[in-house]
Amino acid sequence: MIRKRKSLWRRLKENKVAQGVSSVLLPILFGVLILALWQGQVLHKIFNTDTNTLPLPSRICHIIIDNIPAFAQNALYTLLVAVIGLVVGSIIGYLIAVFAATFQKWGKGGLTIVGAFNAIPIVALAPVMTNWTKDISSDPNIRSMFAKTLVVMIVCIASMSINAFRGLTELKPFALDLMKSYAAKKSTVFFKLRLPNSVPYVFTALRVSVPISIISAVVSEYFAEYIVGVGREIRENIVLGQYPTAWAYIVVACLIGLVMYGVLMLVESIVLKNRRIK
Amino acid sequence: MKKTKELKKLLAVVFAGAIAVTAFAGCGESSSSSDSSSKDSATSGKLMSNEEIIKKAAADGKVGNWGLGNEYEILALLQKYDLPTKYLSEDFTMDGFDQDDITLASAMTYNELGLVKNDYDGGYKYGDTVGTIDMNDEGVAMLEDNIFCTKEFPKKNPNTVKAFLYASMKGWAYAVKNPEEAAQIVFDAGSSVSSDHQLYMAKEVAKLVTTDTKGKTVSDYGNIDEDAMQQTLDLCKKYVQLDDSSASKKLEGFTLDDIRDTQYIKAANESKDGKFGKLEKTDVTIQLKWLPQAQFMGYYVAQAKGYYDEVGLKVTITPGGGDISETTAVNNGTVDFGVTWVANLTSANAGGMDLLEIAQVYQRSGLELVYKKDLFTK
Repeated sequence: MIRKRKSLWRRLKENKVAQGVSSVLLPILFGVLILALWQGQVLHKIFNTDTNTLPLPSRICHIIIDNIPAFAQNALYTLLVAVIGLVVGSIIGYLIAVFAATFQKWGKGGLTIVGAFNAIPIVALAPVMTNWTKDISSDPNIRSMFAKTLVVMIVCIASMSINAFRGLTELKPFALDLMKSYAAKKSTVFFKLRLPNSVPYVFTALRVSVPISIISAVVSEYFAEYIVGVGREIRENIVLGQYPTAWAYIVVACLIGLVMYGVLMLVESIVLKNRRIK
Repeated sequence: MKKTKELKKLLAVVFAGAIAVTAFAGCGESSSSSDSSSKDSATSGKLMSNEEIIKKAAADGKVGNWGLGNEYEILALLQKYDLPTKYLSEDFTMDGFDQDDITLASAMTYNELGLVKNDYDGGYKYGDTVGTIDMNDEGVAMLEDNIFCTKEFPKKNPNTVKAFLYASMKGWAYAVKNPEEAAQIVFDAGSSVSSDHQLYMAKEVAKLVTTDTKGKTVSDYGNIDEDAMQQTLDLCKKYVQLDDSSASKKLEGFTLDDIRDTQYIKAANESKDGKFGKLEKTDVTIQLKWLPQAQFMGYYVAQAKGYYDEVGLKVTITPGGGDISETTAVNNGTVDFGVTWVANLTSANAGGMDLLEIAQVYQRSGLELVYKKDLFTK
């Protein structure tokens, strides 16, 4: 009896399908367990808090469902800021990396400066950007969107340029030697060797940038002139003592992050299908 | 070969330095370009009426407020003139007003308005070139600084509450009669602003404490005026937008009894000596809504003059600031008393907190809309 059970366990362990299922199922089960403890107010006992500070999931869901248009509008603005900032910032970051890889002696120093930008806290950057972009447009909504996007962009430039630079320069030694022995032109080396080599690094950078872009978007909304966005709503509702609504917006912010990360994973799995390096 | 390498390195450093310098120079530029010509230009022509000013600013989309629960009087004012209830987010400086991004800006009489008008350190020196629109005159006044605690606290500690109110009001009474001394006491207690501004603030706050929304003089400080309170609650019901349907339903059903209790301040004001029998709790804390400033001078004066000691209380004054939420702090028991605005207390109660106003220190609204006269002449 015991032997049979053991072999079943082993079989399960070695089965690829079962592995896949368990790697998906276990986190979901864990999530459901947490939700159940939360709804059953066990979490409240553990953390010694009340249902006002930590509202029940049912109430949070109820608020979201009641206000789908308002939530959708705020989420859209936050998503726009995060995505535009991420895309533009990453492209600029990559171009900087290309520039740095082409003129390596100058580039390395330049990258250090870009890296220093990464160390500026978003909380400091956001009000400065709001002040800087006051003359961009007479429409405060456009002005604020620009300022917020700029913050996300700056944060994304740093991680992309540093990672992409590594991808463009850390080549397999024999590959570069081979290219040299073919007397390949610099441009050929770039397009045939450096560029493909940098692709996995780009995704590494994006994995960092995607969550950061959401956080930057949310925080920069605190300081924006025009009152819109998930981050702004979280702050307003907490200050007004509306914790259930604030939590509902926190959930929406999480969902935006999850969706963006999911999309990134999907793109990555398609692009890097046959070339996992690990 | 080596020399060129060094030269290149040197060039890179210079280049990097140049970028850094331009970046920092840019930072300063935006804030120092504030001395615009509009400041000195003489006002000519006839000044518009309040209604015309509000309509013009609203049409330009340049009405400003801080939001975060401070905006309801502005919304009520805009609605009064059938205007869309949209406003720009003001930060905690008046730079937006100075640079004409906001032409009709929210300002508290005792704080921002002083910075706009006066020429002391941190002031924008506009003097009489700016005009104001008073929320009390417009009939949309909502009551601001009060004293509140949880509903449970006075039930358990009635004598402590009465003694605390007695001593605090004694402090306020002294402060409004002696604003110079009160300002100095606050400044010594760790002020966030200059002593000049503190004195200006003390004088303006004294007006709010001693005059009601209709301009009549108040003698029993801290009194919870029925009409003004009702107007505040009515405006709350109309303009506080809560996404949470159960909270907004709760707000709809609120009466004055859900947010205030007048018995403690009455008892405190009727007492001659501040003796209410045995105190249930002698160590109490009060959470201010903002940084230490003359806005809260009554408590600092009561502390410095020993009024709290006289009634047998040891009081700790906790300054607020930024996003510290006084309603949350009181509700979860971190502090015993708090100072907040009635609208904040009402919406917090709707959201599920259990708070109770026990005294109304400011008898009228301190919110005004400030504008440059030369932008609103016909």
